[in-house]
Amino acid sequence: MAAMLQPQIILLKEGTDTSQGKAQLLSNINACTVVADCVRTTLGPRGMDKLIHDEKGSTTISNDGATIMKLLDIVHPAAKILVDIAKSQDSEVGDGTTTVVLLAGEFLREAKPYIEEGVHPQNLIRSYRTASYLAIEKIKELAVSIEGKSLEEKKSLLARCAATTLSSKLIGGEKEFFAEMVVDAVIAIGDEDRLNMIGIKKVQGGNMRDSFLVNGVAFKKTFSYAGFEQQPKKFVNPKILLLNIELELKSEKENAEISGAKVVLSRLAIGDLATQYFADRDIFCAGRVTEEDLQRVAAATGGTVQTSVNNIIDEVLGSCEIFEEKQVGNERYNIFSGCPSGRTATIVLRGGADQFIEEAERSLHDAIMIVRRAMKNSTVAAGGGAIDMEISRYLRQHARTIAGKSQLFINSYAKALEVIPRQLCENAGFDATDVLNKLRQKHALPSGEGAPYGVDINTGGIADSFANFVWEPSVVKINAINAATEAACLILSVDETVKNPKSESAQGEAAAGAMGRGRGGAAFRGRGRGMRRR
Amino acid sequence: MALAFDEFGRPFLILKEQDQKTRLRGLDAQKANIAAARPVARILRTSLGPKGMDKMLQSPDGDVTITNDGATILELMDVDNQIAKLLVELSRSQDYEIGDGTTGVVVMAGALLEEAEKLLDRGIHPIRIAEGYEMASRIAVEHLEHIAHKFDFGPTNIEPLVQTCMTTLSSKIVNRCKRSLAEISVKAVLAVADLERKDVNLDLIKVEGKVGGKLEDTELIYGIVVDKDMSHPQMPKRIEDAKIAILTCPFEPPKPKTKHKVDIDTVEKFQTLRQQEQKYFDDMVQKCKAGSLDSIYFLHIDVGATLVICQWGFDDEANHLLMHRNLPAVRWVGGVELELIAIATGGRIVPRFQELTPEKLGKAGLVREKSFGTTKDRMLYIEHCANSRAVTIFIRGGNKMMIEETKRSIHDSLCVARNLIRNNSIVYGGGSAEISCSLAVEAAADKYPGVEQYAIRAFADALDSLPMALAENSGLQPIETLSAVKSQQIKENNPCCGIDCNDVGTNDMREQNVFETLIGKQQQILLATQVVKMILKIDDVISPSDY
Repeated sequence: MAAMLQPQIILLKEGTDTSQGKAQLLSNINACTVVADCVRTTLGPRGMDKLIHDEKGSTTISNDGATIMKLLDIVHPAAKILVDIAKSQDSEVGDGTTTVVLLAGEFLREAKPYIEEGVHPQNLIRSYRTASYLAIEKIKELAVSIEGKSLEEKKSLLARCAATTLSSKLIGGEKEFFAEMVVDAVIAIGDEDRLNMIGIKKVQGGNMRDSFLVNGVAFKKTFSYAGFEQQPKKFVNPKILLLNIELELKSEKENAEISGAKVVLSRLAIGDLATQYFADRDIFCAGRVTEEDLQRVAAATGGTVQTSVNNIIDEVLGSCEIFEEKQVGNERYNIFSGCPSGRTATIVLRGGADQFIEEAERSLHDAIMIVRRAMKNSTVAAGGGAIDMEISRYLRQHARTIAGKSQLFINSYAKALEVIPRQLCENAGFDATDVLNKLRQKHALPSGEGAPYGVDINTGGIADSFANFVWEPSVVKINAINAATEAACLILSVDETVKNPKSESAQGEAAAGAMGRGRGGAAFRGRGRGMRRR
Repeated sequence: MALAFDEFGRPFLILKEQDQKTRLRGLDAQKANIAAARPVARILRTSLGPKGMDKMLQSPDGDVTITNDGATILELMDVDNQIAKLLVELSRSQDYEIGDGTTGVVVMAGALLEEAEKLLDRGIHPIRIAEGYEMASRIAVEHLEHIAHKFDFGPTNIEPLVQTCMTTLSSKIVNRCKRSLAEISVKAVLAVADLERKDVNLDLIKVEGKVGGKLEDTELIYGIVVDKDMSHPQMPKRIEDAKIAILTCPFEPPKPKTKHKVDIDTVEKFQTLRQQEQKYFDDMVQKCKAGSLDSIYFLHIDVGATLVICQWGFDDEANHLLMHRNLPAVRWVGGVELELIAIATGGRIVPRFQELTPEKLGKAGLVREKSFGTTKDRMLYIEHCANSRAVTIFIRGGNKMMIEETKRSIHDSLCVARNLIRNNSIVYGGGSAEISCSLAVEAAADKYPGVEQYAIRAFADALDSLPMALAENSGLQPIETLSAVKSQQIKENNPCCGIDCNDVGTNDMREQNVFETLIGKQQQILLATQVVKMILKIDDVISPSDY
């Protein structure tokens, strides 16, 4: 009786969700595997795209893991970790975002039976960490350096890396074309760290092959006043003046002319009077150029953006070989090419539909990141699941030398890595088990010659990925394994979720509450309430 | 979207507002997407070709549009479905890039999707289908290049261009006078074309319409037509060898922007005020007269302008003075028109009186005001310009809808002429190019091992659907006609055999003079393939459930 009457101790606020222990851990794992399943089918050259349609009515069609994860709008706290690792992979290396989510999901799936059987998560975590360390060492060992090659050779090697990335995208059909373009663009900007020096402009219409690379800057014709059409549209070796002021007053115009510039760009508007004034003197002008484009023009032409037109000296003027206004699709584009510093490049993308170009842009972004990465740490590994199979074999072999539980865990880690080639096969509609067994056999050859063998996406068999130029920078794989293991360990180490009951509508209420409180002290209570209701 | 449950039967929310979202996956998604795209293509199918029908579209505010231009129909249909929207964009991008063939591209995409569905039912992986389509599209595009003809034209020999434009116009409502419209558009394009750079800026061609008259009255003016009249009714209506001053500054004295207050309590004060006021007014009139007069005088004598075109207005006083000085003027002319006038007459736009010099005046052989019908509408024609780089096509027609549709048709034919100047290769129309491609693709299919072969063959079938639709719309037996033409092509080895839509009596499109541009046709095939590939690649559709 006494025990029944014992008052309940209320520790947390009522309604707080307190799931804990093993059940919570399993629930988290389930959530993560569900999320990983979402992006599973996008992996590889035969991967499918997702169409995501949000409440606002905008649509995105994407194959990029990070983009999909972001747009899914995941609220589950554990599953959110997967979104974060996809994002971090995106910002760190740019590609492999699907891989990283898939790996993390698979590590967790492998861990699940052990958790159910009562293995302490910390044991698993420790073994996973060791395994990931070993895996990364192995990748470094297997990676091939492309350092010390001539520029021409390096270019073709980089193009292959870019082509591998692009092969899984919508623009895969034209991967060689785009790979070359991306490599040229990246080489053009050199060691410059600022990625925004590569501009990507999108023009609807035309087909992919009509896309082109400008060794300089290109931007859309800006809003113009009457008189603009009378300005000359082509200059050879013009001097370019960049401004950050409105050109309206008379005195300002004259200075611009005195300085001898032939092309005048301004971030702010150039008025109608000024436009006609320039037209009268055969000077081209464009107002309301976006900040980004102006920066790029400045970097490309070697000019400096001016905030005044007084005392303009020659040093602040930029120059380029050819300036021209050209028709691209339905738009007219201002194109500066042959710039002296050459530190910029602009890719003008063409394509049928809006979503198509958007996706092409994302794909090119991935490819650009990959090429930049490959240029910095110039080691590449075999793609097509080859490197994953090789690590998996190595870990299995290593596991046999370990006594104790850890052997099992490392074995399952090794098994989890096989998900990449397996998924590649599944997406392509091949018999995954069959292909995987062929791969295992090849990789198990004692001579080690089978190491670069991966899935051959064209025939449904296996092939030497390295010889077929399915390459990816090793840093992609290293980062993916690292991030996936971290995420898996993190999720495994959580055994309790404390969810504040109000957290779901917290933001809206907090805002309203703060407003009511802020407005009315005791004296204005009535009013404060009125405000809140509104 | 179904909830996910863990082992203990507790549901967990993974996505935000998960229960309000719907999700389609795998084959279902592809099927649903194809099902959404098909009706769109079917709507346009009947608009294809010279015997194609028009659609009447009513907007929410009651505006009625009648057209058979694919891009316009889709634009105004306001479709909601995502996949259908892709098709709308497809036709729009064909419109941007080529300007013509907007219906054909959608019909083509619809046919490709229909074929894809059959293949999906047979269990072929969607990506393999997409890849097959891509291969096939390459074959087709190469084949088109193979059967294309180059032809020469020059400023004197415009016949081939006219013929091609006529093909475009023949499918429109204006086909009654396609010959004259085609000639007008070719001449207009040639007038503004930069033949060396192969660049045509269509902005320089102004298309103006006015209700009334008949379609045959449509004319090409080497100059500009402005929907304005002279500022004073007594000004001359016809000026020969006009010298035009183009001004963007207002023609009136500046008005002070201050407020005043005067207290009057005695008679004397009132009288002084009255005197003051009168004096002030006299001064002002003097000054104003002097001011405006000066500038008018300056314009007239020193610079020698015989016509003033002003972006802004001027008051009655100035108007009167201008009238007295016998200097005709036009006021409130829009910026774009002003620019075109400047280009056409070779003048400069002058923002300030002080900058006006004789060199900056534009020259036109004839400026005249023309009134229409019994209405008081008048328009100003500026003709025989110094530089005929800006031209106007002036459309007349029975009603507003007709004029709008004519404008769209003219746009299409202008685009065709422009494309020919860029690239003077043509293929033969009437579905002959498609049939020829279909045969080539079919033959090439057998060389490909693997599943793609089926997709390539399906592509060939899809290509057949265009001539099929043409025949259907022309009231012919589609299957019979198509197979007859196909066999004729093979037998005579003649890629110019097409559907005889107009019942001329021959299938040879060379004799019928039915041409289309090579780039237009290539673009159609490439764009359609691109979009179909995109649709086939989607296997997961996540959307709010109320859609």
